[in-house]
Amino acid sequence: MIDLLDNLFSAKIDEEKLEQIYSCLSTQYTNGKDPWGLDIDAAKETLLKLYPFYSEYFKVRLFGKEKVLDRPYMIISNHTGQVPIDAMLIGMAFLLEIAPPRIMRAMVDRFVTSLPFLGEWFAQTGAVLGDRQNCLKLMERGESILVFPEGLQGVAKSTNEFYKLQKFTNGFYRMALSSGFDILPVAVIGCEECFPFVYHLKSLAKTLGLPAIPISTNYFPLPSPVDIHIGDPISINKDLSPDSTDKEINKEVLKVKSKIRSLITRGRKEQREFWAKKEI
Amino acid sequence: MDLEKVSSILIIGMAGNLAKITAKEIHQKYPHIKIIGVDSRKAPRNLSKLNVKFLQINYTRSHFERLFREHKFDVVLFLGRYAHTGLNILSMLTDNLDTKISGIKNIFDLCMKFKVKRIVVLSSFHVYGALPGNPHFLLEDTPLKADFKHSDMRDVVEMDKMAGLWVDKHKAVETVILRPCSIVGPNIKNAITKYLKTPYAPVPMDFNPNFQFLHETDMADIIVKAIDTLSPDVYNVAPDEYISIRDAMKIVGNSTLPVPLFLIEPTAKILKKTLFKIPEYFISYLKFPCIIDNSNLHKALGKLNFKYNIKETLKHLK
Repeated sequence: MIDLLDNLFSAKIDEEKLEQIYSCLSTQYTNGKDPWGLDIDAAKETLLKLYPFYSEYFKVRLFGKEKVLDRPYMIISNHTGQVPIDAMLIGMAFLLEIAPPRIMRAMVDRFVTSLPFLGEWFAQTGAVLGDRQNCLKLMERGESILVFPEGLQGVAKSTNEFYKLQKFTNGFYRMALSSGFDILPVAVIGCEECFPFVYHLKSLAKTLGLPAIPISTNYFPLPSPVDIHIGDPISINKDLSPDSTDKEINKEVLKVKSKIRSLITRGRKEQREFWAKKEI
Repeated sequence: MDLEKVSSILIIGMAGNLAKITAKEIHQKYPHIKIIGVDSRKAPRNLSKLNVKFLQINYTRSHFERLFREHKFDVVLFLGRYAHTGLNILSMLTDNLDTKISGIKNIFDLCMKFKVKRIVVLSSFHVYGALPGNPHFLLEDTPLKADFKHSDMRDVVEMDKMAGLWVDKHKAVETVILRPCSIVGPNIKNAITKYLKTPYAPVPMDFNPNFQFLHETDMADIIVKAIDTLSPDVYNVAPDEYISIRDAMKIVGNSTLPVPLFLIEPTAKILKKTLFKIPEYFISYLKFPCIIDNSNLHKALGKLNFKYNIKETLKHLK
């Protein structure tokens, strides 16, 4: 534990690397901002602050980065943990470990964007209200989109449902068809263990108009080691159009889901023990 | 529609500064055009230089009917935008007609009856409403929801909807609806310019909404283009640029009062009684995004060559 805290306080991102990332992003976002509230300076600050957590606390390992080419993707991931820190870790992985670095535009629930102070912070770091029009506009600009098609069902899961994929919505596939982007399947392993599940206050959440109120033993994540597995890009079915029937689209969505499921199965086999030390 | 062939234009809401700037632009480029300007307010200054015949009238059907009968208008510019800054044409319509909506309908009916070739209606991006679920870059076909929360916005929404029906149904009168973003400039006195010029205006500290600003002369230029270049349709009018409200305030040079988002409405209400005279509906635009998409305008005009960029536009408010 002392080692962990010591590493946490001493971990610093390589400044040269940070500058490289920053200059690359500055060429993409010329005035450092975008209409959805992204702020490159604020994102840089966030990266600096959260890097020790990425590197030393969650000891993130990224597998399959060689599969990511210099083009935008529709990134589809499983959703885990009572508090969805998976989006943050995927975002950091794509900034720190993949060339060229890119800011993931995570599609988030309206509840997230309306959180006092946090809503602005999420927007500054790239999160966008999950809306069809926002998604299409961002793809027009060549931005990579991060979608959790399980939505809120993916988080707030009971212990016996950990790593079980919930129902996927199919909107992301229609968006990919509109843009022609390849789909990049991603599995995050380790986040479920960050927040041991106790109970889900569904009725209270409904009464308060909140999407979920999961009760966990803790709300600061436990230091579970996290692995991010990137699968082979999936080309969209060119015989389909964004207006194809649900039946046709769902078939393709199931293929994506099964890819992520197999990534999860593989990832679970390679998962480290809870107190594993960081691999160097 | 070729402005060289236009002989007379009626401008409704002539006492407004945007109307004045537009009349000036038309007069400079097309001095042969006879401009009749009406308003229920007093005549603005320096109108004589612009060759505008100003008439202060009550907005009754009979007054308008007489006007349409006496002058054969080719074009009607409906620039009496709902402005919430005291006197404005639509509130005048309420005063003089039973309802605002029937008043607007009367004017449209007269345009039809007297074979006006084109109507240009100045609406506003406010008609979309600032709502938590708004995507960025609202398209022209986005439902108009401004009146969901603010009943005082009902009139401008209804006016826009009614004009929209005219675009589709009455092809004989070509109707162009302009929904501009925030128009600012040294002569414009609307809610956003008042807000930007107010020292210590409350600004959300945990949300920094983006705004689009257009200079008053660039807007006047678009109104002229709505007569001679644009096809009958609805157009969002905005530059490609945007700026956050905090950055906009910095450019204008006023100190702000940072307030948590959930307190911005109560703060505005308290300040309203003293220094901060901003309409209530405007506060929503500080709380939720409302950015409009200008691709339809781009399609019609190609590159938008606005005279002023967003920073220059805001500097004019200093």
